[in-house]
Amino acid sequence: MPLSPGVVTELQRILGPEGLVLSHEGRLVYECDMHTFYKGAPDAVALPSTSAEVVAIVRLCRRAAVPIVPRGSGTGLIGGAMAPSGGVMVGLNRMNRILEVDLENRCATVQPGLINLSLTKAVEARGWFFAPDPSSQMVSSIGGNVSTNAGGPHCLKYGITTNHVLGLELVTGTGELVTLGGKVADRQGYDLTGVVVGSEGTFGLVTAITVRLVHAAQAVKTILASFTDIEDASEAVSAIIAAGIIPAALEMLDELMIRAINEGTGAGYPKDAAAVLLIELDGPAAEVEAQGERAARICWERGALEVRVAKDNDERALLWKGRKEAAGAVGRLAPTYLLQDAVVPRSKLPAIMRELREIGVRHGVQIANVFHAGDGNLHPLILYDDRIPEELERAKAANEELLHACIEMGGTITGEHGVGLDKAKNLPLQYADADLNFMYRLRGVFDPDRLMNPGKLLPAHPACGEGFHPPRPRLPQGAWI
Amino acid sequence: MGAVTGSVGETLAAIVGASRMQEGAAVDGTFAVDGVLPRWGVRVQTLEHVSRVLALAWEAGLAVVPRGSGAGQELGAPPSNVDIVLDLRGLDQVVEYNPDDLTITVQAGVTAGALTARLVPRRQFLPLDPPAAEARTLGGITATNATGPLRLRYGTMRDLLLGVKFIQADGVVTWGGARVVKSVSGYDVPKLMVGALGSLGVIGELTLRLHPLPDAEQTWLIPCRDAATAQEFVLRLLDSTVQPSRVELLNAPALAACGAPGSAAAVAVSVGTAEAAVKAQGEALGGLGRAVGSAAARPAQGFWSRYAAALVPAQCVELGVATLASKVGEAIGEIERAVAASLSGVAPTIGGSAPLGSLRVVLPPAEPARVKSIVERLRAALAPAGGGVTVRRAPRDVRVAVDPWGPVETGAFALMRSLKEEFDARRVLNPGRFVGGL
Repeated sequence: MPLSPGVVTELQRILGPEGLVLSHEGRLVYECDMHTFYKGAPDAVALPSTSAEVVAIVRLCRRAAVPIVPRGSGTGLIGGAMAPSGGVMVGLNRMNRILEVDLENRCATVQPGLINLSLTKAVEARGWFFAPDPSSQMVSSIGGNVSTNAGGPHCLKYGITTNHVLGLELVTGTGELVTLGGKVADRQGYDLTGVVVGSEGTFGLVTAITVRLVHAAQAVKTILASFTDIEDASEAVSAIIAAGIIPAALEMLDELMIRAINEGTGAGYPKDAAAVLLIELDGPAAEVEAQGERAARICWERGALEVRVAKDNDERALLWKGRKEAAGAVGRLAPTYLLQDAVVPRSKLPAIMRELREIGVRHGVQIANVFHAGDGNLHPLILYDDRIPEELERAKAANEELLHACIEMGGTITGEHGVGLDKAKNLPLQYADADLNFMYRLRGVFDPDRLMNPGKLLPAHPACGEGFHPPRPRLPQGAWI
Repeated sequence: MGAVTGSVGETLAAIVGASRMQEGAAVDGTFAVDGVLPRWGVRVQTLEHVSRVLALAWEAGLAVVPRGSGAGQELGAPPSNVDIVLDLRGLDQVVEYNPDDLTITVQAGVTAGALTARLVPRRQFLPLDPPAAEARTLGGITATNATGPLRLRYGTMRDLLLGVKFIQADGVVTWGGARVVKSVSGYDVPKLMVGALGSLGVIGELTLRLHPLPDAEQTWLIPCRDAATAQEFVLRLLDSTVQPSRVELLNAPALAACGAPGSAAAVAVSVGTAEAAVKAQGEALGGLGRAVGSAAARPAQGFWSRYAAALVPAQCVELGVATLASKVGEAIGEIERAVAASLSGVAPTIGGSAPLGSLRVVLPPAEPARVKSIVERLRAALAPAGGGVTVRRAPRDVRVAVDPWGPVETGAFALMRSLKEEFDARRVLNPGRFVGGL
């Protein structure tokens, strides 16, 4: 349903001529995020510059019952920043300033549109950084990172976005501007900051974020170990953790992925390798030295083909090169792919790798793997040719089966990308009706009209609807009632 | 209410067994909350028990106070109403321990001490060290968001709680989070249970992230001529590549209580990692100490247990003072002046995580009006920089005289009130104790 002329006029008044996109071509730019399966252009794109404008937009849309879809850089992978039911998209890219850097108190306050890496760039000369490092960090916004509770290779040691958010300014679904948390660590009351992070824009729009900054480590050591068998590599991962080492990053590439990378720019991974393990340690120099030796020894003991230790920053960059190019390199194997983000308990890595191979064979699809082995967060790329309709169907079937397999092993449907439109339907795999209903009601506290990013995160499910009551326990006969 | 009382009691007895339920005049003192005996005392043994007791309470409109070891019972305002006290210590099972995944799922009544005993053989631990933690239940530590010095390196329960099974006010058993170390599927419901004092649900089961025990650990004490110098040292330390596990600032009474050499203030720092790295960082600490005119020294063995004990004397008023790392020195001055103005001759014991601006202030038991004037003066002094004061432990009359939580930002509080209304409209769960009387 297109916007009424009254709403358009009012949006123009709030945002000025430069702050509103109404043209067909202009709106099409915003029809999807990086999960290009899901398309839905908004009826208008609002580009506010201040929190006050955001408040005005939300209040207007609420009065007119128009859905609101927040968007940062549009680099999400879950169909989160697109408008399946139209409405007003609020692009927060113009709100991209660093409001305060306070190194004494190890924090910074930024606007949501600030690019992740820009914050680190602003403080690195003084020896500090912002720890969450999704692969998209050169383009993704911190607001988007907050919305999806983004992770990254280094979250094994440093934690995901939520562990770094101290406070938020939020415009709720009712258009109230509220301050949650802040620079002072101890707060009274419910941890609303904690529950807004990862709510994917369904609670409201975040207009400022106070994040923790981390001091750069004294030393970094990057080790690349290759194996002829992925199970040996998986066991090395478990053994490293069991030895009391928590690397900053612990990444794995499988045979198909190694081949794709070697055929491309050539990170020079050993040709016979069936698995490559990338281990990065950081911390005080003596700690990194001691743990590096131990990790290398563990790899040799588990039958590593080769263990390389980067001698300097250039070598370190070279070892990472292949990993960073992984998603692009698979383009050499197939025109396109489905990217999965499920998690299994780390100890189940060997089992899920076997299962993945079988799923691939069963559905006649190739599956390449690059993943955060340290925390069991898989990123299988299910390859297919989009010119052949039946291939897509097979890829989708393999994808669903894989999710089920991860859940059966005690895992979760998403480790760092989020739920969005893509996985809302899968949420009931992991949660019972009572759990889903709790989430549904929780959302209503922040956004009673349910106009904020509708269709995302929560599934279309009876437990996510008005009037649903999870079964209550039965009381003994003759109870006082 | 006599007839109703009788049948509530029968129902409770049918749920948990007659031997685990006490009623009316038979309720013993161990069930007392703030000196008030409940109408019923119930010891549960399963989550199903909790669920059915809450379903009954919901139907009957009864107020339920959940409890673990009781260590946190002096946190928050006195309850507005206590009908049933629910003793959760019988929920003492380890549900699943996965050492290779560094995760464990336990029932809420498992104590931190029992957990440690289970983890030590695998050289793992849950890095939460509030004073006297051994006897405390993990459910209680979660509900009160209890922390200790290790919080600096490992975070609080907020960072360690992966998943939680809780029982809503109407008895519905609910699960949130995940059993793996990384998950963003659905809302981060576990965050709502941390520090909520059981006011949105009774915690039944927790899935926790564990950490490996460091190979080696050492502690240093850096005596300082005043709190401002101690703050200066801490800020230099934070801007260095030393990665400490604990950085606590102590004033003179706190040092004396720890049996440490006398000085106006000191910073206690521990480093835990590979042995060679502990040594190297100790040397770096020495250099940082010299830069502020101080010499780092090793305290006698057992420093951290003495420190924990110093902060929990048998009877006291404990305040939590929240400020910024850059204002810790100033805050200590404010505390000392506020105490001197109201309690002549009393020197407060002050210790806390200087990098997090989180201080504990321990006072001897005092007249409520005097505590109130100390707290109000401090709140006024700290508020401009976003700081605050909570009464973390005090006799009932003190917590009646002064709001133990202090003010919460209006917009945020409106959301908190809506949350409570949504999930506990009948005010069954710990009514009146949480912020703003929730």
